[in-house]
Order: sequence, then structure tokens, then C-alpha cells
Amino acid sequence: MAVRDFDLIQGTLDLLVLKCLGTGANHGYGIAQRIHQLSADALRIEEGSLYPALYRMEEQGLIESEWRTTENNRKAKFYTLTRKGRATADAELDSWRRLSKAVTRVLRALEQGA
Amino acid sequence: MKLRAPRMVRRLMAVFRWGAQDDEMDQEMAFHVDAMTREYVRAGMSEADAARAARTRFGSVLRHKEAGHDVRTAHLDQLADDVKSGFRQLVNARGFAVVAIVTLALGIGVNASVFAVVKSVLLDALPYPESDRLVRIYGGAANRSAPRGPLSAGTVNDIGERQQAFDSLAAFTDIASEGVYGAETGPQVTTFTWVEPQFFQTLGVSPSVGRTFRPDDAINGMVALSGGLVGGDASGPVILSHQAWTRLFASDPGAVGRDVRIDGIPRTIIGVLPAGFIGPMGEVDFYFAFDRRPVVSDAIAARRSQWLGLVGRLKPGVAQDAATREVEQIWTALVREYPADNATLGASAMPLREAMVGDTGTPLLVLMASSGLVLLITCANLAATMLSRALTRRKEFAVRAALGAGRARLVRLLLTESTVLALTGGVAGALLATWAVQRVGELAGRALPVFANPSLDWGAMLVTSALAIGTGFLFGVAQAMTVGGTDTQRTLRDESRGSSESRSSRRLSGMLVAGQMALCVSLLVGAGLLTRSLWAMASASLGFEPERVLTGAVQLPTRDYSDAESRFLFRQRFEERLQTLPGVESVATATSVPTLVRQRTGVTPEGVDSSVAQPFVLASLVSDDYFRTLGIPLRQGRTFDSQERPDSPPTVVVSESMARRFWPNGDAIGRRLRLGPNPESPLIEVVGIVGDVRNDRARRDPEPMAYRSTRQFPVPIVTFLVRAEGDPLALVKPIERELAALDRGLPLQRVMTLPTLLGEGLAGRRLPVLLMTAFGALALLLASVGVYSLFASMTAAREWEFGLRMALGSRPGAIAALVLRQGAGWIAAGLAIGALGIVIVVRLVRDLLYGVSPFDPATIGASIATLVACATIALVIPVRRATRVDATTALRAL
Repeated sequence: MAVRDFDLIQGTLDLLVLKCLGTGANHGYGIAQRIHQLSADALRIEEGSLYPALYRMEEQGLIESEWRTTENNRKAKFYTLTRKGRATADAELDSWRRLSKAVTRVLRALEQGA
Repeated sequence: MKLRAPRMVRRLMAVFRWGAQDDEMDQEMAFHVDAMTREYVRAGMSEADAARAARTRFGSVLRHKEAGHDVRTAHLDQLADDVKSGFRQLVNARGFAVVAIVTLALGIGVNASVFAVVKSVLLDALPYPESDRLVRIYGGAANRSAPRGPLSAGTVNDIGERQQAFDSLAAFTDIASEGVYGAETGPQVTTFTWVEPQFFQTLGVSPSVGRTFRPDDAINGMVALSGGLVGGDASGPVILSHQAWTRLFASDPGAVGRDVRIDGIPRTIIGVLPAGFIGPMGEVDFYFAFDRRPVVSDAIAARRSQWLGLVGRLKPGVAQDAATREVEQIWTALVREYPADNATLGASAMPLREAMVGDTGTPLLVLMASSGLVLLITCANLAATMLSRALTRRKEFAVRAALGAGRARLVRLLLTESTVLALTGGVAGALLATWAVQRVGELAGRALPVFANPSLDWGAMLVTSALAIGTGFLFGVAQAMTVGGTDTQRTLRDESRGSSESRSSRRLSGMLVAGQMALCVSLLVGAGLLTRSLWAMASASLGFEPERVLTGAVQLPTRDYSDAESRFLFRQRFEERLQTLPGVESVATATSVPTLVRQRTGVTPEGVDSSVAQPFVLASLVSDDYFRTLGIPLRQGRTFDSQERPDSPPTVVVSESMARRFWPNGDAIGRRLRLGPNPESPLIEVVGIVGDVRNDRARRDPEPMAYRSTRQFPVPIVTFLVRAEGDPLALVKPIERELAALDRGLPLQRVMTLPTLLGEGLAGRRLPVLLMTAFGALALLLASVGVYSLFASMTAAREWEFGLRMALGSRPGAIAALVLRQGAGWIAAGLAIGALGIVIVVRLVRDLLYGVSPFDPATIGASIATLVACATIALVIPVRRATRVDATTALRAL
């Protein structure tokens, strides 16, 4: 069974959502599904965290929402990235990379018994 | 891209859209659960199981929604926190809050109210349609010694025939006359004026009831010129002012068409003017129409009697300047054509507004400038209080920043606090301004032009408030920015260690102190100069003794007292009756009270060619005891007595300056002259020379004056002057009784003591002095508070340093000297800059000064001394605190 419920560091969820929306508009369920699939079922986004995060980022002007019809002809609320959101996503990604690289380097060094 | 409302607006809307958002979340989450259900179904679950599993998996919709709402309204919670915290902080710092609010209120209140008065006079439209097309044409003396005088009927006629700039022109008698209206309730004193029939059309005013004048309504202009003594029957139509209609006819629409008697002469009311109409001559009850042609065809009256005001409406598109030039050109031609009449005279045109604003323009601009200075001091003071508040809170902010408050959060905290302050101060300022406009309006009263109606201007108030509040924000927030900035650690370390405040903030404080000093000293000098001028004007000798003199007037209706004999008899009996009243020392009658003589007459000494233009002197008719009653000294010859009879050779008593002017060799007594325009009039002998009386107190030199006897010219206006042995007002009732015994139909007019009357004459001068002194005091107070709050915070910030110095052996005296030296330096710098301000203020008030030199050392010295004294007191408190620093306590902070 896949690892369930990583406690995502605050900000990481935002980054994932933003990058996910970077490839196109999507609704809440779609975002959760997509992250779940892309992580090879390793990450599962808690709905209780997802929606407040979406609303917060909408307040901050990083994303905007719109009611549209899905391919199954159902009404769903679609989120799209704003210009500001795109810039934030890039910056966050950059700092995430540096953080993970640093953490990896430290862990590798420690494992090698330095 | 979609258009979106600004974030703040959307956030606020969110509160009101709670229900709609709730629905939206419901739908959104329902879709989510639904999608999951279908996924589970695809994976092989039964419909019911899938739905249950999805719901379980999704969790509580209610809780998710709550979390969603929380996210969306988080900023509101913060705002509420900030407001609460703002209030708490202000309550804790009551002193600061009170200073800031009072400063704001005073600054806003003073400026808004003064601007209201200035605007009502200089900016508000005159009560006439298209009033910028209206022009006033004045006569006067060629040498400009008596500007804004009347014109002769001949000149009015010539200007009318030669001009091209005006659509229409209309003449009027500039000074309202008084007449008795025989109302059913008893005789009432009313004012009336003569206008040409086209007068109201020219101003663009039509009556609210009835009709306006037609050309055939006009009666012989000689009646108007002679005050009813020449020109035959004077009955004709009359138009009422709205005010007279209300007062005398109880706003009865049936008043139109009614026959009334004014001064015993029957008139028919044909119309009532609209409310709010005020003519260029001021408030008047009745308007009569006159025809100028009979005057123009009278050989002497045509060009030798100056008695008409003239107003014109420009043709559309004609500039005021063009009209002014045209009138000048016409006048130059008229001087050439009629040198004997016009050579000593002048004529000029100006916009009607300028004419009606009159002498109030300069004082008002001075007031506006002073209140502007108060506003600047207010701003500096607010900056100072905000700055010192921020200084004392640096540590608090550093702690907040260290605990994770972002810079934006800190700035917002300060902004909310400032907003609470600003709103309170702004509301207090608005209330103060509303009150002050009324007070200033009352105070200004007669000093303002007749049309002015001060009312608060909200636009100006907003600008003033924005300026004052903005300054406060700027300084408070700027300081917060430096604290909430990157170097939290250093601030925290420095502050808790208690090192001294930074050099830059100390320099800023110092500059604020210097600025306030500079503004304040300029204002104080201006106020001081004006006060000294008023004092000089009020205390300078007038040439007579006004104490214990009661004055009043009786107007004899020309119909009842049509011949000289009856008027002479009335005057004699009235004087005799007053003389016998107990408590009366002496009694005199005249045409007017000294300082209010308006009549001028041309003078031609015997032997001077009568075709040469005449110089003008003031003229008054007086009774035998006039000089004795008023204490005007006799220098040479005699005053009037029973030798003056209607049929005896005419005589004149002249003032010293008149004697000097026409007979510089000192041989005036016995010389003869002609008065008035008629070159054939009988020669008048100079029988006496009396002391000078200053008729216009704003003028340094007394104007030459000629007195003639009421025995020889019994005119229908009887102004009495009674010198009492005790309280002059106690004589009012007895005098009324004596008058009623003589003639029941005559009301007593304008009864007051001479000192009161003289005081009223200075009302226009007193207003700027009073207000500017008030501004000076206000500025002094604000600046002192500003200096105090700055130095209090400066010494507070250096408490640790002072403690250390004392621990190392410094004496309290040395510490005090240190702070004092710093304060004195900035105060001195302020005074140095103030020198420039003084020069500017002096230039502004120069025209209003009297009997004091613009750079009067006493005034400037006293202003500086007052300011320095106040600043020193403001400095002493923080200095004392600095010297009482307990070394151990201060050092324990380490």
C-alpha cells in the first residue's frame, strides 16, 4: 500500500498545487487526483487541507476561480493560475530545489559517516 | 483577462457574500464527493458502497467549509485585533493621544473656518447672474487721495454715450438715505436709495412679486440730488427689498399696489425684490427711480455735483481689462473737454466683486496666510508627536518583529492606530470648525462685505484634514518601517541595551523643532505688529473728547418741515429742551457725528479763477455749541453764535489744516471763499479757526474741514450730541420724551454713546488683529507642545546613556547643560530661519500697519522673548527628568 498522508511542510502543498495548475485549469478533485497519480500514489492530498489552501491562494491573488462544465457535462469550479501565481510558483520551486538539495547533501554526508 | 475589483473591495464584499460563498463551497465539495464516488464505482464498488466510502474519505464537509470561511475572513479578524489594540495603545498613551487629537482638531478647525470666511468674500459668486460681467465705475480725486468716490451726472451721461464695452449701464445714489415710513404701528426709520430704471435689469435681477421699474416711472433727478428740496412733486413708484417686505409688510403679497408714505410723500409699491438680493450700495429698504436728464441739463449740477455710483454689464465676450481701459480713455477726454470741472477728479473702473470686497481683501489674505502657518505648525507638531511616539515604541516593535510579526503587519498596526487618531481628531476638528465659522461670522459681522455669507466648505476641510492626517501617518509609519526592517536583531540589542537614539532621528526631531520655532515667531511678529497698530489707532488723539457724549439723530420729513424756518425752529426748541434736562452738561446738533462726515465740498478762495478746478474739503453743518460740547479747541477768531442769521452774510469756521492749506501765511481770519460748485454763489467769510479732527482714523493726517452754521442752513437731518455729567445712556429715555413732546411722529435714530460708535468704526480693523493674535497664541501652544514631546522622547531614549554618564561621575548639571545646549541650538536655528518668515509676514501686513514701523524692534523682541520663554518651559520638564535619572536603575537595564 502506498504511503498515506505525508505531513506536507506548509508551502509544499501550495507549490504542488501551483505547479499542477501551471499545466492548465483544473478543479479541486482534479488537482488532488493529478498529484496523487504523479506521485505514483505516494502522496494523497487531504481534502481538509486542499480547499482552505485553494481559498487562501485565491485571497492572495495567486489563483482565480470560475465555474465551468466538465467533459462529463457537470458543473465544477475550475482554478487557473494568475500571473502573480506563476511567478510565485517559480520562486517557490527554486527555493524548494535549494532546500531539498541541501537536505539531501546533508543526509548523504551523514550516511557516509562523515 | 477578467476584470476584478481591488482586493480590499473583494474582501469586504466577501463578508456580505457569506451565504453565496457557503453555497458555492457546498456545490464544489459535492462535486468532489461525486467524482470520487464514480471513481470507486469504476473500480468495482456498488453505487451505495462507493457513495459511503467517498463521503467517509472526504470527511466532514462542514468542517472543510468552516476552514474555508476562516481563510477568507482571516484578515477581518486581524483588523478587529488591530483596532482593539490601537484603542488599547491609545488609552495607555493618553497624553500622546490627547495631544495628537487636540492638535488635529485645532489645525483643522481653524483652517476650515478661516477658509470659509475667505471663500465667502473672495471666491463665492456675487448674488447676481453672470456677475463676472459686472463692472463698477468710480469717481474720486485725481491724486487718489479720496478713491472710490461718486461721479457727476454729466460724467455718467458722457460715459453712457461714448462707451462700447457695455450692454447697459445704470447709475444710483451710492449712500442710502434715511426716511420715516409711516407704518400703522407707528413711524419707522427706513433706508432708501435712488436708482435709474434700468438698474435691476443691469444687475440681472427681477422682482419676486410685481414688476421692476419702467423708464416712465423715473422722477426728476434734481429731487434725488437735493434730498427732496428741489425738483417739485416727488411722488412715484417704489420697489421694496425682500427684507423690508418681511419687516414692514409681514410678507403680504397684497403689499404690491398699496400706497404708502415715506417721509410724508405718497408712493405706490410696484414690486418686491427676491430674498438674498443686495445692491452694490448695501442693504436698503426702498428703491426709487430717478431720471438723470434734468440734472444733466442743469448748468451747475451737471458736472459740479459728484453724487452717483455707476454699475455696468459688459457685452458678452468683452474683457474687464478692455472696459477699464475704455473708461480711462473716456475720462482722459472728459478732463480735456471740461478742465474746470474734472481736472482735480478721476474716474476708474474695476470688477464689481473687487468694488464690493473693498478693504477686506488684504486682511482676509493675511488671515488665510496666518491660518496656513497654523496648519504647517499643526503638521510639524503631529509629525513630532508621531515621531516621538514611534521612538518610544521602537523596542516594542523590535520584540514584535522578533516574535515573527512581518513588516506589513507592523505598519498595519500603526496605520490602524493612526486611523483611530485621525478619525477622532477629524471629527473634533469638523465640530470645532462648524462652531468657529459661526463665531467668526458674528465677530466679522459688519467688517465683511454685505454679500458675504460664510459657510463651511467641505472640500477645503477634506484637503486640510488630509494634509494634517497624512503628515502624521507619514512620520509614524516611516519610523515603523525603519524598525520593522531587516535589522531586527540590532534594534532589539541596541534598544534593550539602551544605547542612544540614532543620529538621523535626532536630526529629524531637531529640524521639526526649528521649523515650528520659525513658523511660530513669524506669526507672533505679525500678530504683534497688528496689535500695536490697532492700539496706536485707537489711542491716537482724534481731536475731540468723546467721553460721556450721547449721540442720535432725528430726520425731519421734508413734507412736514418744508421751509427753512420750521426746520430752524424745531432745531432750536429741541436743543433748548435737551439743555434743560437734568444731568446734561452741554448740547450740540450737526449734520453728522465726527469721524462719520461723508460730505465733501469744492473750495474756491476769493481771487482764485473759478474756472480752475476746485480742491475738496470735508464739510459739516454745526450748531453754536458743537465745538464746546466736543472739546474741539478754538485757535483763532470765534465760533458761531446768534450773529449768524439766515439773512446775514454767510460765515465759515475752518480747521487748522484747512487754514494752513489755503492761507499758509496765517491770515485766514477775515478772508473769503466760495464753497460748492456754483461760481456765482455768495462769498463766505472765515470767522474762526478750530483744532483738527481726524475724520478717517486710518489716515495719519487730518483732512481739511469747513464748518458752517446750522442757523444759516437748517437742513432736515438733526444729529444731536449731548455731553452728560454722568452716565450718558441714562439720558436716552428723557430725550425720547422731549422729542415726543415736540413731534409725536418722529422716531429717534441711531442712539449710542460716542465711544461705542468710535469702537464700531474700528470693527473692521479689530477682526484681523483679534484672529491673528488668537492664531499666534495657538501656534505658541502647539509649538511648545511639539518641543516638549520631541525633547521628552529624546531624553527618554538617552536615559541609559545619562545613567551611565552619572555613574561615571557626571554631575546632573552637566547632563542638563547637555540637553539644554542641544535644545537651544535647534531653537536658535529656528529663530534664524524665522527671520526670513518675519520678512514675508511683514510684507504681507505692511498695508495694515498704523503708527508702528514694520520692523518694530519692540514687537520683534517681545515675540522672540515670548517664544523662547515658552520653549524653555517646554524644555525644562524633560531636562529635569534627565537629571533625575537613577544611575543604578538605568544601568540595570544592561
